[in-house]
Amino acid sequence: MSRGETEHTDFSATPMTEASHSRQKIARAFLGIATALLLLPLFAIIGLLVTHGMSAITAEFLLEAPTAGMTAGGIYPAIIGTLWLIGVSLAVAAPIGIMAGIYLNEYAPENWVTRMINLAIVNLAGVPSIVHALFGVGAFVLFLGLGTSILSASLTLAVMTLPVIIASTKEALASVPVAFRHASWTLGASRWQTIWHIVLPNSVSGILTGVILQVSRAAGETAPIMFTGAAFYLPFLPQSVQDQCMALSMHLFTVSTQVPNVPEAFPYATALVLLTLVVTFNFFSIGLRTYLRARRKW
Amino acid sequence: MSDLAKKKIEVSGLSVSYGGVTALDSISLDVYEHEILSIIGPANAGKTTFLNCINRMIDSIPDARVQGTVKIDGDDVRQVRDVNALRRRIGMVFPLPVGLPMSIYDNVAYAPRMAGKTDKTRLDELVERCLRQSALFDEVKDRMGDLGTKLSGGQQQRLTIARALSMEPEILCLDEFSIAVDPVTTMRIEEVLKELRKEVTIVLVTNLVQQAKRLADRTALFLDGKLIELDSNEIIFSRRTADQRTFQYVQGLFG
Ligand SMILES: Nc1ncnc2c1ncn2[C@@H]1O[C@H](COP(=O)(O)OP(=O)(O)OP(=O)(O)O)[C@@H](O)[C@H]1O
Ligand SMILES: [Mg+2]
Repeated sequence: MSRGETEHTDFSATPMTEASHSRQKIARAFLGIATALLLLPLFAIIGLLVTHGMSAITAEFLLEAPTAGMTAGGIYPAIIGTLWLIGVSLAVAAPIGIMAGIYLNEYAPENWVTRMINLAIVNLAGVPSIVHALFGVGAFVLFLGLGTSILSASLTLAVMTLPVIIASTKEALASVPVAFRHASWTLGASRWQTIWHIVLPNSVSGILTGVILQVSRAAGETAPIMFTGAAFYLPFLPQSVQDQCMALSMHLFTVSTQVPNVPEAFPYATALVLLTLVVTFNFFSIGLRTYLRARRKW
Repeated sequence: MSDLAKKKIEVSGLSVSYGGVTALDSISLDVYEHEILSIIGPANAGKTTFLNCINRMIDSIPDARVQGTVKIDGDDVRQVRDVNALRRRIGMVFPLPVGLPMSIYDNVAYAPRMAGKTDKTRLDELVERCLRQSALFDEVKDRMGDLGTKLSGGQQQRLTIARALSMEPEILCLDEFSIAVDPVTTMRIEEVLKELRKEVTIVLVTNLVQQAKRLADRTALFLDGKLIELDSNEIIFSRRTADQRTFQYVQGLFG
């Protein structure tokens, strides 16, 4: 018997493997179609915005305040306002969320209090943003007397994003093997030393990704800022967190539904700018994640 | 061991249960300074649990309940204020090596650094000495910056031994260290242990009966959480064992 024949008898497909082969092909095709269906609306949205809005995107549109009852001019104050809102809400939510996540994952004892807190976090993450808006009005605008201001709006956004930041921080920390912590404790390192030198360096990519994704979510929200700090029309730039500001999401709502005679391209162009901002954040987050992942050490 | 030898570790009435299930049942034994005490016994005998009580790693298992006392140099380990300082006095080697996610050098320098020793030349010396003691230095001396997690299993095990020695511990506990190590390396580490006993007290948990016989001064047999017998190797590895089960276990008749 020649060598070729032996190989043929040993490795040729049996009916069984052929069947599983074709099942595999079908499964793969369906998964591929699902992915394509997912991408379809994404490209449709981007296509729509670009075709309808691109013509309005000029230097003037990006760098000037709206004029003539928002039917002319640009969206510069709204861009700056959105940056203020996400900046301040990030400054509040990120440290608190990350610290709470560290506490819950690394220190909190396994008991019913901790379980209740974890349950609360999961449920808070599902609360609709309009409910957060009402809470923000009650707690920050009225009770704390912060008025309608960037501070009130940002705090409302922070409250909205906190549960998810906490949850994603916990998840990132939990992905670091317990064995590393044990090895470190055994060597006489304290809990905090272990967190700082072992756990955080190996989970920072996941933590930051979670934070940035929430930032871009906050950038797109309208309800939580509408009654707490975002202005309908305010051609000046805010000077401090006590001022109100315009915001892209709010402005988009305004020019699409609230004022007459807006050029048709304006809402699309505003949406395009907002989307670009959010996508930039997300790409930044993906880039950061890839960079930090590559440095991961196990 | 003579009665004149100093008692390094005194264990009395030590019982541990995990969520109500007993893992150790009133163990009492002493470990003398500079001896090698080996602990043998089949799976689930409580050997690892015993080691975890010595450096109080048992604290990190939420549903573990500990009764009885473990004293080191006469001090109850449960009363010590700084558990991290206690752990620095006790080197621990696990059955499955865990290289910390950092360089080989940093792995060995980790414990001293965490204890505040940061002098570069002293650390360099220390790292080299620990790696030599664990018979790893020659293999890694040209790549100290490589990741500890990327070493082979046997090399990682020797890395964890080097790490355990980095605090110049008074007590060294080894838990089935040779699982991931080839026989030649095992013999080299055994030589190292014989050398080390001049300076440290060694508790060696092993599932290799012959290893206990080769290395230990005395050997204890654990069975289902109980201490069956503890005696000098002369007795344990002879026909004169006090308990029939010791003889049977050593002969490989069960376990
Ligand atoms: N973290 C834990 N939680 C619950 N039960 C545990 C835990 N660790 C050990 N046990 C139980 O305690 C008993 C003793 O386990 P231990 O690990 O001390 O045995 P061992 O002698 O080291 O075994 P082996 O030779 O397999 O390593 C076992 O029944 C085990 O299931
Ligand atoms: Mg064990």
